[in-house]
Amino acid sequence: MSISRYACMELLGRRLTDELVILSLGGAVDEWYDAAPHMRAASLFQQQLGCVSAEAFGLAVGLPHRRVVSLDTDGGLLFNLGILATLGNERPENLFVVVWDNEQYQSIGGPRTHTASGRVDLAAIARGAGIDQAHTVDTLEDFDAHCAAGLAAREPYLVVAKTDGVLQPGIRRKHSDGLEDKYVFVRHVEETEGITIMGPSEHN
Amino acid sequence: MQQEAVDAVLSGLKKAGVSVACYLPDSLLEELYPALDADPDIRTIQVTNEGEGAAICGGVFLSGKRAVLVMENSGLRASVEHLARMGLGAGIPVIMIMSHRGDLGENNWWAVPHGITMEPVLKALRVPYRIVRSADEVERAVTDAFTWSYTAYYHSAVVLSGETVR
Repeated sequence: MSISRYACMELLGRRLTDELVILSLGGAVDEWYDAAPHMRAASLFQQQLGCVSAEAFGLAVGLPHRRVVSLDTDGGLLFNLGILATLGNERPENLFVVVWDNEQYQSIGGPRTHTASGRVDLAAIARGAGIDQAHTVDTLEDFDAHCAAGLAAREPYLVVAKTDGVLQPGIRRKHSDGLEDKYVFVRHVEETEGITIMGPSEHN
Repeated sequence: MQQEAVDAVLSGLKKAGVSVACYLPDSLLEELYPALDADPDIRTIQVTNEGEGAAICGGVFLSGKRAVLVMENSGLRASVEHLARMGLGAGIPVIMIMSHRGDLGENNWWAVPHGITMEPVLKALRVPYRIVRSADEVERAVTDAFTWSYTAYYHSAVVLSGETVR
């Protein structure tokens, strides 16, 4: 049984206001761009495997008073499973990790990932790495309930959503690249935190 | 590692405003890691590989805090994918301090590749670096690396070499 990633995103988006989001590559980029338009500036669209939850953790370390959401993927998490052990030991109190597990590398046409075998269980790996709150969901109701719990948790919380691999049709493509996305995100963090991250040079 | 060099690294990090250090321990910088752990102004995060450490440092940059990645120079090879994606793809900088394994004087066969590959990999990534062989140059190298990376929004590296680590 699997669920629509886009429908999950709509549910998650409804729960977000001042959180910060870092997300992985692939179809999830455009889907998140459309499913949660109010979170565009608060979301860093990262086009890379193995970086997303680690970057989200770094952000959570730097802003311990702010809730950070990592939207990772099966392919992305499998690229660096070590981050689960780091999260298990470091125990961030403000990091909610969602893993979109569609059992495929969707952005390149759908070759299967290791989770497609049915034997590789990312939530079980996470629990084994010390993340006690690691769950797999395959209904929208369960996903929504875990979003509520994960966004309020004071310990690392991970939910693996078994999604159907169907790209939401008719959605608007994001036009910006990684550099523009970084500037938008950094300026949003600066504005909402009242800080300077990328300030002026000595001389103009 | 010389105690003088350990002190100079810590001093440079403080002058640069660093509050987070990610590391994967190595032998040449053996004395630096407990010193970082013991420093009340720096949160240390031990990682499972240097690419993960680079990504965590990138996330810390986005928060407005400052982080450093400390590692053996072999870790550079493990972090190339993450550094290329974050640095070239998004302009998210990572400042690295690495030990110079495989330099002339190396007496471990397994470390020779680290010396052979380090500078070509740094150059391939277009990462400016300074190889420091004297403790009295360490602090300035660390602060210069942070100044450059927070101007260029790109990675930089300080390589601790020579008598600083042997």
